[in-house]
Amino acid sequence: MNRRDFIKTSLGAMAFMASGLTLAPKRASAATVDITLIAEGAQKTMVDENTLYVWQFTDPNGKGPGVLPSGMVLLEGDTVNLTIQNNLDRPINFTVEGTSIQTPNINPGDSYLLTFTAPAAGSYVYCDTANGFIGKAMGLAGPMVVMPADGSSTLYQGGPAFDRQYTIFLQDYDDRLNAAIANGGTYNIDDYLPNYYTVNGLSYPDTKSDGDTLIAMNVGENVAIRLMNGGTIIYPMHFHGYHVNVISRNRTPVTDVIDKDTINVGVGECVDVILPVIQAGAYPLHTHYVPGVTANGVYVNPYGGGLIVMLAS
Amino acid sequence: MGRRNNGGGTTTTSGVRTFAFEGPDIVTVRARMDGSINLSDGTSVRTWYFGSGFNGDRQWGGPVIEVTEGNIAEITLFSGMPHTIHLHGLDVDQANDGVPSTSGYVGRPMGNFGRVDGYTSLGTSYTYTFKAPHAGTYQYHCHVDTVLHYEMSMFGTIIVRPASGSLTTIWDGGPSFDKEYVWQLGTVDPSWHTQRVSGAGTVRYNPKYFLINGVDGSNLFNDSTVAISAPAGQTVLIRLNQTSYQPAVVKMGGLSFDVVASDGRPLPQPLTKTSLYISPGERYDILLTMPASGTYYATVDYYDIKGRNVIGTAVTTITVL
Ligand SMILES: [Cu+2]
Ligand SMILES: [Cu+2]
Repeated sequence: MNRRDFIKTSLGAMAFMASGLTLAPKRASAATVDITLIAEGAQKTMVDENTLYVWQFTDPNGKGPGVLPSGMVLLEGDTVNLTIQNNLDRPINFTVEGTSIQTPNINPGDSYLLTFTAPAAGSYVYCDTANGFIGKAMGLAGPMVVMPADGSSTLYQGGPAFDRQYTIFLQDYDDRLNAAIANGGTYNIDDYLPNYYTVNGLSYPDTKSDGDTLIAMNVGENVAIRLMNGGTIIYPMHFHGYHVNVISRNRTPVTDVIDKDTINVGVGECVDVILPVIQAGAYPLHTHYVPGVTANGVYVNPYGGGLIVMLAS
Repeated sequence: MGRRNNGGGTTTTSGVRTFAFEGPDIVTVRARMDGSINLSDGTSVRTWYFGSGFNGDRQWGGPVIEVTEGNIAEITLFSGMPHTIHLHGLDVDQANDGVPSTSGYVGRPMGNFGRVDGYTSLGTSYTYTFKAPHAGTYQYHCHVDTVLHYEMSMFGTIIVRPASGSLTTIWDGGPSFDKEYVWQLGTVDPSWHTQRVSGAGTVRYNPKYFLINGVDGSNLFNDSTVAISAPAGQTVLIRLNQTSYQPAVVKMGGLSFDVVASDGRPLPQPLTKTSLYISPGERYDILLTMPASGTYYATVDYYDIKGRNVIGTAVTTITVL
């Protein structure tokens, strides 16, 4: 009985070229970086073809992982000249959570130049906080990855090394809120319960065909995965096939519960893990808040619609 | 197909366990879609579950399955309808991972049911085979139309016993215990229990009942698998298996306890706590030393998914004998 033998996937048995974070070229020393982000409204087509009115930070000169309209990769000590242009209909700010990097409120139509020094190596979420809960709920957030000053492929200088790294930026939407904001209506955020979920702006199965979001790896490698919560709910991320080493939570080293298959990524948290690739195969990484793997309650394709990322080696 | 036991003959509560179990190592379960549980307010809801095939199955969650570290385990699932067993945390090979798209499913293709169109049917039975890894607490669950099947209670607990065969230590060389509980957390949104397939009826999840081991409310006080009782000074192991969709905080009525393992791996150092946050899919093993006397109220607070407010609490007793 070898039923198992015929279950192959096109993802299996294939060696992957070194890839990894594709946001920006790797540098060996700190530099001055000019970045512009435009806060704006956009129509986002979801995996089930529904369209949501969302807010986003758009980088006119680049993009983030997946289909995120922005994302930053910096080197510790970089001098960043950041221009924020507010094209929304209400004041916003730009905040890097867990740091003192923040603009004052920027009025509609205004722009603001913020100069800051890239903080310690690690994973950060930037977002608007001027609109409270609604900023992230509407999508006004993005990933900021700071690499160590020595240019090494480590999570921080002297920290664990990796062969490749991926950014998994998690967001959620409640289409009733998006509709209320689009139509100038009101919405009680206590009722917020999302029905769309994205990784790097994508939902499964589109997560499989995106080079930044399909976690392609080879047996024997150590793969850094940055689990970044840019949304408004908890994300208990479960790895099939592997336990991972939890390295840091909000840039603070984790020493107490370190060897895990399910990792809670709380609201506003970034959890950096290293996955030792101990076996080959195609395995999902998904939220165990299982409603989060659907799109508006439905599986498309037919298995999925939300926060499922495939690991392939 | 692997060997299998007959009709639940191995199911017993023995030793220091407070629960029935199947095994060791060779287990057969059947996917059942005709279960029901009675909630404390008199409401009855339909459940789907993994039955061990004898009368007296608890119809919420499958049996506790025990396997022995280092042994080859064989769990055979019989099902006519599409279902699978995902061996959550056991890091098995792809063929035994129980995900329909990558590992196939058990059962006949059933149209829209199960949302497995285009995936491989393994037939009406399949033996999931794996080498039991590190001793500890694991989960198993169906991965077909997971959002619905999981909430309908197609899940259970797997205990990997240490290679030595000890039934009173969590892992060889690890801490020992005098009595053992499995607390499987879960909630019920009754409106989901009338669905056959995910869709318009499963867009949002609003649980109304807050359970441990399939019971809620006042029933938690007299369920022998939940309510903790042991003599003063004894060490009680509670294996916490988070199979709800809500973040939860577990407290032992103000008593401190030691967290010794999570997700089937010992912690580098035990953590002494009076409250423990546990997210969906996680497992934690905690040790409680029974105090000198008295009765305490242990609680599981279930939170909304923003992690802000308690939306329901399961309360049971800790009684010093
Ligand atoms: Cu099922
Ligand atoms: Cu699982």
